[in-house]
Amino acid sequence: MDCLSHADTALPTLYLHRWRAWLPERAGEGTSACVITDEKPAASSVPALLRRRLTPLGRAVCTLLGDMGAHERAAMPVLHASRHGDGHRPLDMLDTLFEGEPLSPARFGLSVHNAVLGVYSIAFGNHASMAALAAAGEEFEALLSEARGYLAEGHESIMLILTDSPVPDRYRIQTQAPQAPSAMLMELSLTPALDAVRLQARSVDNAESRGQTVTPPLLADWLMGRRDLITRTPALCWQATTEMATPHTG
Amino acid sequence: MANTSLTELERDVANMIIEALELEDITADDIEPEAPLFGDGLGLDSIDALELGLALQKRYGIRLDSDAEENREHFASLRQLSALVAERRSD
Repeated sequence: MDCLSHADTALPTLYLHRWRAWLPERAGEGTSACVITDEKPAASSVPALLRRRLTPLGRAVCTLLGDMGAHERAAMPVLHASRHGDGHRPLDMLDTLFEGEPLSPARFGLSVHNAVLGVYSIAFGNHASMAALAAAGEEFEALLSEARGYLAEGHESIMLILTDSPVPDRYRIQTQAPQAPSAMLMELSLTPALDAVRLQARSVDNAESRGQTVTPPLLADWLMGRRDLITRTPALCWQATTEMATPHTG
Repeated sequence: MANTSLTELERDVANMIIEALELEDITADDIEPEAPLFGDGLGLDSIDALELGLALQKRYGIRLDSDAEENREHFASLRQLSALVAERRSD
């Protein structure tokens, strides 16, 4: 699907400075140096007593945030959006309640939507602004809105995390969910840089934007030049280009 | 290296701790029977204490009063916890 240009007024341009993804379902495929595919990432920077509380998804997020040095940037907010959180955890608790069994305090504590960021914050001593979002399938759109708000308020850059997680089979009839978990981390700003990718939005017809939910594998394919990215609310087509991102040095 | 100083019950309680708290890369033999379970020794935290309370109830039928002062003693070490199990188990 091509991006059709319409009247483009005040449409956002952002700069992507770095991205990393965790795509375990693509293990063995040639992807990109920005992608890890380990089924259970090491998260070796997280102390063992905290690490045991993380699912593979949480370990992946902590591993990639550590690799990207987010903890060395005390002023950079970190936003995490996911539709189902850590997937099975809250749903397993419902089963436990149904069976009349007492809830596990540790699992209860980790069932909240911001649990992964909480463990990350403790493990790395990162006290930057952090928030966890859910938006019924429009998580990436919500992340972009939040990011533009933080950047407009004067934050130099922001770290976005989008994760997706399978749900137990019996919930599949009610909701869209992938077969495998995944994560995408992107550091964005409003400032061009030599090695930054310019993300330029163009408006598209609403009809065109009734596409898929934006997921980490879809974003990775977009950033590797394999497909377009169309967001739904607002209906925008995003182009990622390295040209023109160079600061004009005269 | 096998810690031969664990009794059969202590080994059982140690395995309960490892299973309930999902301790990675730790076996019963790694837990010193007299070492503190919380803070400096094994390094467990307050959520682990709640989780252990639940595990004791499920495995050995022991219900602890959550704010009883003697809990601190019961949870001091693997040996102390095993003594509690020996005394109060109803499974």
